[in-house]
Amino acid sequence: MKKEIINFTINGTPYEVAVEPQMTLNEVLREQLDLTGTKFSCGAGECGACTVLIEGKPMLSCCTLAITAKDKNILTIEGLAKGGELHPIQKAFIEHGAIQCGFCTPGMILTAKALLDENPNPTREEVKAYLAGNLCRCTGYVKIIDAVLAAAKEMNEGGK
Amino acid sequence: MFRTLKPFEYFEPKTIEEATETLSKYGTKAKAYAAGVDLVPRMRKRQIHPKYMVNIQQIKGLDAIKENAEGLSIGALSSLRSIELSPLVKKNYMVLSEAIHSIASIQVKTQGTAVGNLCVATPASDVAPALFVLDAKFRVAAPSVEKTVPIENFYTGVGQTVLQTNEIITEILLPKLPAKTGGAFLKLVRTVADIAKVNAAATLTITDDTCKEVRIAVGSVAPTVFRAKKAEGMLKGQKLDQKLIEKAAETAAGEAKPITDLRSTAEYRKETTRVLVKRVLEKALERAKA
Amino acid sequence: MSQELTCVGKRITQKDVVLKATGEARYVPDVRLPGMLWGKVLHSPYPHAKIKKIDKSKAEKLSGVATVITVEDTPKILWARSFRDMPMAPSGALQHADEYILADKARYVGDPIAAVAAVDEKTAEEALDLIEVEYEQLPFVLDPFEAVKPGAPLMHDYAKNNIAVHLTPPPFLVKGNVEKGFTESDVVVEEKFFASKQVACQMETQSCVTSVDSSGKVTCYSPCQLAHPFRRELGKMFNIPVGKINVVNPFVGGSFGCRLSCHNEPICIALAMKVHKPVKLVYSKEEDFTTIDTRTPHYYTVKMGFKEDGTLNAMTVDVTTWAGGYLSRAQLAGGITLIWALGHYHCPNMNGSCDVIYTNTTVAGAGRGFGNPAIMWGVEEVVDMAAEKLGMDPVEIRLKNTKHTGEMANMGLPIESSYIDDCIGEGAKAIGWNEKLGKNKGGKGTLKRGVGMATMTHCSGAWPLLIEHSNAFIKFNEDGTADLTVNPGSPGTHIWGTLSQIAAEELGIPAEDIYIVTGETDKTMFDLGSHASRSTYVTGNAVLEAARQAKRQLLERAGKMLSESPDDLDIKDRQIYVKSNPEKKTSVADVCFQSIWNLKGESLNISGKSSWASHYNSIPTAAYFAEVEVDTETGEVKVLNFITAVDCGKAINPMTVEGQCEGGVQQGIGYGLTEDYVINKNTGAVESDNFTTYKMPGTMDMPENTKIIIIDKPDPKGPFGAKGVGEPGLVGIAPAIGNAIHDAIGVWIKDLPATPEKILKALKEKSG
Repeated sequence: MKKEIINFTINGTPYEVAVEPQMTLNEVLREQLDLTGTKFSCGAGECGACTVLIEGKPMLSCCTLAITAKDKNILTIEGLAKGGELHPIQKAFIEHGAIQCGFCTPGMILTAKALLDENPNPTREEVKAYLAGNLCRCTGYVKIIDAVLAAAKEMNEGGK
Repeated sequence: MFRTLKPFEYFEPKTIEEATETLSKYGTKAKAYAAGVDLVPRMRKRQIHPKYMVNIQQIKGLDAIKENAEGLSIGALSSLRSIELSPLVKKNYMVLSEAIHSIASIQVKTQGTAVGNLCVATPASDVAPALFVLDAKFRVAAPSVEKTVPIENFYTGVGQTVLQTNEIITEILLPKLPAKTGGAFLKLVRTVADIAKVNAAATLTITDDTCKEVRIAVGSVAPTVFRAKKAEGMLKGQKLDQKLIEKAAETAAGEAKPITDLRSTAEYRKETTRVLVKRVLEKALERAKA
Repeated sequence: MSQELTCVGKRITQKDVVLKATGEARYVPDVRLPGMLWGKVLHSPYPHAKIKKIDKSKAEKLSGVATVITVEDTPKILWARSFRDMPMAPSGALQHADEYILADKARYVGDPIAAVAAVDEKTAEEALDLIEVEYEQLPFVLDPFEAVKPGAPLMHDYAKNNIAVHLTPPPFLVKGNVEKGFTESDVVVEEKFFASKQVACQMETQSCVTSVDSSGKVTCYSPCQLAHPFRRELGKMFNIPVGKINVVNPFVGGSFGCRLSCHNEPICIALAMKVHKPVKLVYSKEEDFTTIDTRTPHYYTVKMGFKEDGTLNAMTVDVTTWAGGYLSRAQLAGGITLIWALGHYHCPNMNGSCDVIYTNTTVAGAGRGFGNPAIMWGVEEVVDMAAEKLGMDPVEIRLKNTKHTGEMANMGLPIESSYIDDCIGEGAKAIGWNEKLGKNKGGKGTLKRGVGMATMTHCSGAWPLLIEHSNAFIKFNEDGTADLTVNPGSPGTHIWGTLSQIAAEELGIPAEDIYIVTGETDKTMFDLGSHASRSTYVTGNAVLEAARQAKRQLLERAGKMLSESPDDLDIKDRQIYVKSNPEKKTSVADVCFQSIWNLKGESLNISGKSSWASHYNSIPTAAYFAEVEVDTETGEVKVLNFITAVDCGKAINPMTVEGQCEGGVQQGIGYGLTEDYVINKNTGAVESDNFTTYKMPGTMDMPENTKIIIIDKPDPKGPFGAKGVGEPGLVGIAPAIGNAIHDAIGVWIKDLPATPEKILKALKEKSG
């Protein structure tokens, strides 16, 4: 099938890639750009492990054709830490024991980021509701929710 | 079993005309792409095999939610989440917001559109029952034609609608609701992030305690979402009390033709159709009175 | 434990977790090797079929396809996906080898028939459509009770009536005279149960990347839990020396038992051997659900007789284990249910039996808790039924029958420590048992509330059923940091952090000074791997012993430098000091440096090594308390509060222990309420083949409050007093929920999962 050259910005860096129309964004990130922090799990839009932020919004990279993301700003887990400094959500996930096997973690953290960008002061219930599309089999979600609340507090107090 | 998608040719029309013309050209081999959340998994599972993909995302002006003289217009590219959170929807069409709220995944709602959800024509749609009880109409574009289809005429079977292969919905139109109208939506699921085993929506308009207008819609218990008209007939023009509501709910359950599948049993669905219809009527009444 | 602990008991984060937070952690599907091809497997669409002919010519001609293989292209050596040649003590029984790398005959829908390697995944998937298989469909049987009937289609030549094995309890669990015991009981309850086919639902699907170089060296990236035993099985399967095989575990996206077996690795290796190029094979979620081991389902009858005062007098458990098309670990999972059930409470008269039966269904194997969650669902429900008949409180009847330190445990060894009564007491207090039991407290209208409990005893490793052997090697670096080489596998359990804390505690240095070397069979000595809640206990003891040896060397060297006897020295905060005169000291770093860069020629790289085998088994115990709300009109159950009180000895890292137990609550709610493995009766196909159709709990399905109470009393045999905790986190969750449902609405659900459909039906039957 004919390839098309598309441009997008990933983690602040402009990319030019040749994609076949049926390639998903997940496939292009992982297989062409080797950004394997974005996971592929269910392939059915049900688990959230493939979540990336497109123009700041949480989207399922396994259900998005790469070609439809052209000219967009995309944030993957690899772009969250800045200059070796972890994002407060990443720090909180580490400190609160919110990570076990870690396979759901990139999607969880990015979804949490979208939440805190939208609502810097969520309640426990709001965190739970926002993460309802992200499955985890290890943690029982308790420490994940703790971590998001702790990150919110840190970000608010840190004036970020 | 598969992880990749089969190849297809890709189009990116800039106008509705261009989109419908491309769809016309390729007929049943083409699919309109609005978000991918439903389409891509089905392609991955090899349930559908479009050879031509028509991405309508680049068509301008299809993502607005705005009030007009008749009521509310929701553009086809409006995301589920933008509809759920729209102050206009929340203020006047709470039942729709509530229905979308029941879809748990933020990603699905951010990416997915209401129109996309409707066009899949699953009997388990959460959006459809809300639109049934809001008496929604769809503005449909075909090459050089435009028409309006009431939701009641929209579905023809599981996965089937009256839409021709070259037609796309451009707008959802909601009429203004009379004063003293209340609505409610409920669903039963296996886990919170799930499609419905059974769902139900109702709107009620009252004067004093009398039911002026009523609409009841039930999902996942028949090949399509449907209006429980016999039950509605029992309520319309009547003074509403608990006993009557329960009788109407019983009747609505009688109108359901559920099946047993992996999500639930026919028996359970029948029984809980009654419970859900009763509950949405109670809640709608309470809201109509408020 | 007189001295103050500085690392053990602390909430320290395992070093590599940061890589998971940044996306740097590479899992098997993230591994990319130069020149790598993509593999793909063709699975049988039929539950039982002869493979008459496979025409692969069209597929081979597709541009980009490197090879297509069938059973004829693989070594025709029968193997066991759960590994032959793991001698089971004391019987020495082996797992039955019943499977080829690719099937000679399809025995379930999903059985691998052929495989492709191609330039990319899309081409490999396209090639599948071009492989033409001529099947002769055979009669099939899905139900284990049908499978044993005369005339039922047979799966394997050796298994008469499809019975793979008939098992009885180990001799120490056959006691007294059960007939007499029941006759002499005041209350006898006998009920039938079904414990379902739960799916591991690990987020990373089954994957493998393998390279075979020109020297014949096989490097296999696999998420398997038992890397060393797996390597040995591969050696036998491909008839190559184990030294030629390096099994690499990179980061692993969850296991929960399913990765005790190997699945698509042999296929991936066979492809790589054929094409002499690296091959990557990543299963889709649907392939995962239909072809890799699920938890073993069991149909079983529990009969328990109690004296008037609540004393358990007689007990039998008879189990029919539903294995699937191949055996995997169903044999063990079946047999061990007898051990969990009969070994839990005191009982003078008991017996049991277990038949393990082949059917044309997806293979059943290990699941977290290995039969314990399944059997305790019924046992703990029967205990509550008896309590109700006796007019006793469920707490009271359990306290009457629990076992204590010194008595014989489930595995036939003495209980090293048990604080199960503390678990029951603390848990009951935390949930508000006395205020809530039988009172529908807080229930409104159609919403009824109830509380329920369950208990369990488990294990720390499988000794004496299986050898429990681990090795550890610690070497000090010039700066006083240490490399700890171990290979217990880490599917996300933070075991490396736990082991670091154990080593650091013994060595008197901070855990951050310990660097873990692991993940490759080439680099590491034997370790059985991650199973049976063993790693903290068995590998932990190996690490502790290696640390003791390294410490001895450190102190001997330091003694020479300080002109003191090593016995008079100790280490704290990286300093080696004279116990009677703490001011006189040197640093660990200095001793290490001077030992390596020794100008007198007395060079020594300070190190310690241990080959450790457990000859005891400290049982973790736990009590679980659930508070639920049931909607009597819809049958929906909401778990409001959940308390797990766990006696896992000394918690090396409380945060890790909590994490294990909190995760167990999610899996237990799923097992108890929502996770239903649906097989189409007409086609044998798995209908619940992804997260859309098989529902595990998300954030919104979890209790409002989940509380983990760690009893934290040291065990005499565990490293720093630790016992296993991985599986105990799950075992009693569903049983407690089942009993809470009964407290709320007065019905017993006996088949897992307790769906609203079953609850509503039971309520209807109850009201007549």
